[in-house]
Amino acid sequence: MEIKEVLKELLLEDKTLIHMPFGNGNCDFNKSIVLSWVFILVVFILILIFTHNMKVHNISKRQAAVEGFVLWIRGLAVGMLGEEGKDYATYIISVLVFLACSNVMGLFGVVPPTMDLNVTVALALVSIVMVEVAGIRSKGVKGWAKAFAQPMAVIAPMNVLELAIRPLSLCMRLFGNILGATVIMELLKHLIPVGFPVPFSLYFDIFDGLIQAYVFVFLTSLYIKEAVE
Amino acid sequence: MLNVNLWNILWTVVNLLILYFLIKKFLFGRVDEILEKRRAEVEEASKAADEMIEEAKKAKAEYQQRIELADEEKEQILADIKKQGYDEYERIVGEARKKGEQIVTEARHNAEVENERAKEVYAAQLADMVVEAASKIAATKHSTAQDRELYDKFINEAGAGK
Repeated sequence: MEIKEVLKELLLEDKTLIHMPFGNGNCDFNKSIVLSWVFILVVFILILIFTHNMKVHNISKRQAAVEGFVLWIRGLAVGMLGEEGKDYATYIISVLVFLACSNVMGLFGVVPPTMDLNVTVALALVSIVMVEVAGIRSKGVKGWAKAFAQPMAVIAPMNVLELAIRPLSLCMRLFGNILGATVIMELLKHLIPVGFPVPFSLYFDIFDGLIQAYVFVFLTSLYIKEAVE
Repeated sequence: MLNVNLWNILWTVVNLLILYFLIKKFLFGRVDEILEKRRAEVEEASKAADEMIEEAKKAKAEYQQRIELADEEKEQILADIKKQGYDEYERIVGEARKKGEQIVTEARHNAEVENERAKEVYAAQLADMVVEAASKIAATKHSTAQDRELYDKFINEAGAGK
């Protein structure tokens, strides 16, 4: 019975954090949005601290680490996107940072923003828009439209369907994984509150969170790479 | 649990764009600026180094040329000095030879003059003897035998006086 209450509390809680006096509830801010603001602020402050006072010569260890990190993560993104899609590396890295931060928020005892379907839907929509924009930019509108009929005209309907399937799968996969991980963690914490959940938290909050962020980004880059080829 | 509303989706998109902007501007922008500066500096340094090498090569070639010129000049000077030396030698030897010849000529001349003088002295003595003999002959009556004796005596005297 207690477990049922825990689940109910977790899954059916009111996600709204800030109520707006207008819009009849449609303009309220969810917790996930406010949490995103929090981690964006944290990331911004970290970036400012780490890129503060950068020099060309006699660099500090901090700067060396930042430069190494930037080159590494960009290499990672370009590696997934391919040379032709490297213009989108910054976008891919932004999504990666966004998701990585969101997914590991469970560590701090809050519900991860990615457990809100609104967030994953938004990310999936932005990603599919980016994919199609990339296709149009590299092939032109005509080439982009023609690409639906490749490799043969018969599968054109499938390719059109993919427009909807891809973002749907992206957002549902992410949402489901984070939801599952959070639910399991809540149950474990409910079962044995001290010590026992730590190794599981390592897996579900950190490892799974980062893996899901990587998967989302990897698939998006794969789609972009396919679109620009 | 599964309620979706446009407002929150929009805000998530805005959040993502904000994050994109922050990363692009403050992380990549600053790091890229430094990397670009460093790359430019390295390029400049390597260009400067290339220029220096080029300059050094030029200088080396110039010095080599100069050394070659100096060698040539040295040869020239040596040759000149040798020639000068030979000339001087020739001049000295020639002068010495001339002087020698002059001395020989002078000596010969002196000898001739001496000879002449001796001859003159001899001739004068001879003349005296002849005069003496003639006067002796003239002073004494004499036979052919006596004359012959006298001539012989005279000749002997002349030969001895010689």
